[in-house]
Amino acid sequence: MTKTSFVIAAIAMAFLSPVALSQSDPSDTAQLEATMLTVNVKGMVCDFCARAVTKVFGKNDAVEKVHVDLDNGEIHIALKPGASLSDDELETLVKKSGYAMVSVDREVS
Amino acid sequence: MKIGFAAIGAVAAFAMDDGYAEARPVSYPGDWTFMQKNNGDYYSIHAHYSPTFRDSIGLYSERNWSEDWHFTGVQYNRLLKRWNEKTSQANVYLKGGIGQADPFGSGSVELAGFVGIGADWETRRWFTSYEARAYDLGFDQTARQSVRVGVAPYIGDYGDLHTWLMLQVENQPESETPTTFTPLVRFFYDVQLLEVGYTPETERFMANWIVRF
Repeated sequence: MTKTSFVIAAIAMAFLSPVALSQSDPSDTAQLEATMLTVNVKGMVCDFCARAVTKVFGKNDAVEKVHVDLDNGEIHIALKPGASLSDDELETLVKKSGYAMVSVDREVS
Repeated sequence: MKIGFAAIGAVAAFAMDDGYAEARPVSYPGDWTFMQKNNGDYYSIHAHYSPTFRDSIGLYSERNWSEDWHFTGVQYNRLLKRWNEKTSQANVYLKGGIGQADPFGSGSVELAGFVGIGADWETRRWFTSYEARAYDLGFDQTARQSVRVGVAPYIGDYGDLHTWLMLQVENQPESETPTTFTPLVRFFYDVQLLEVGYTPETERFMANWIVRF
């Protein structure tokens, strides 16, 4: 692809994308949105703790990605499109890892 | 000769665990742990599986040069209580094993077992643990206990190489040198944990290794 044709394609996509989104079902759009969860946890003090959390959450079908912030005692979870995890399910996963859940913050991106 | 055994054990330790695992004898559900401990007085291998974060079961083998016996058996570990706090974690564990033991060179094997208790408290900066274990070897009874204190000179992020400076005080009443002090360095990276130390009283090296998978 030449530089000129790449620029034309990029401009075309920039104009077409809003049209495509406006024609889609709002529920489809919601499916594409990734929900980010921040779970505040007590007891995570080492890499081994972080690994346990990563392994347990990583096996859950709803979870796309897990990141552990040991400094703040937080688990950051990206859910798969359309997937959800209730507070009770999150608490079960945290307990299964061996730790204690304090709170959950939810963010839809 | 003893130094020779210690050196061989140390080399073996690098090729294949320990006090961290002794204090933390369970893992997360579905995890396997392999650990080797060697301090010149005894050498042990412990491989276990954790069906839950509270339990683990596996095989334990110990060759004790200071008391001239060998034990092999099944070991079960149970997390009795865990205190999860914002910046710390504390645990109390119960351990038990049953199997067979033989004194060096006797050719006879006897039913043997042990019970132990472990406790630890840890933050990202400080670590302390205690373990006591009592053996009934059939032909003899013995016990030992140890205490550890440690500090992390820096706080690493998840995935970094973590380093701990520790001091272990161990008491084996029936050993030739009952109480020993072992300064050691712990390196913890990914699924691997390596400890290297030296015990001046016995002039022996410690080398422990743990891997989880």
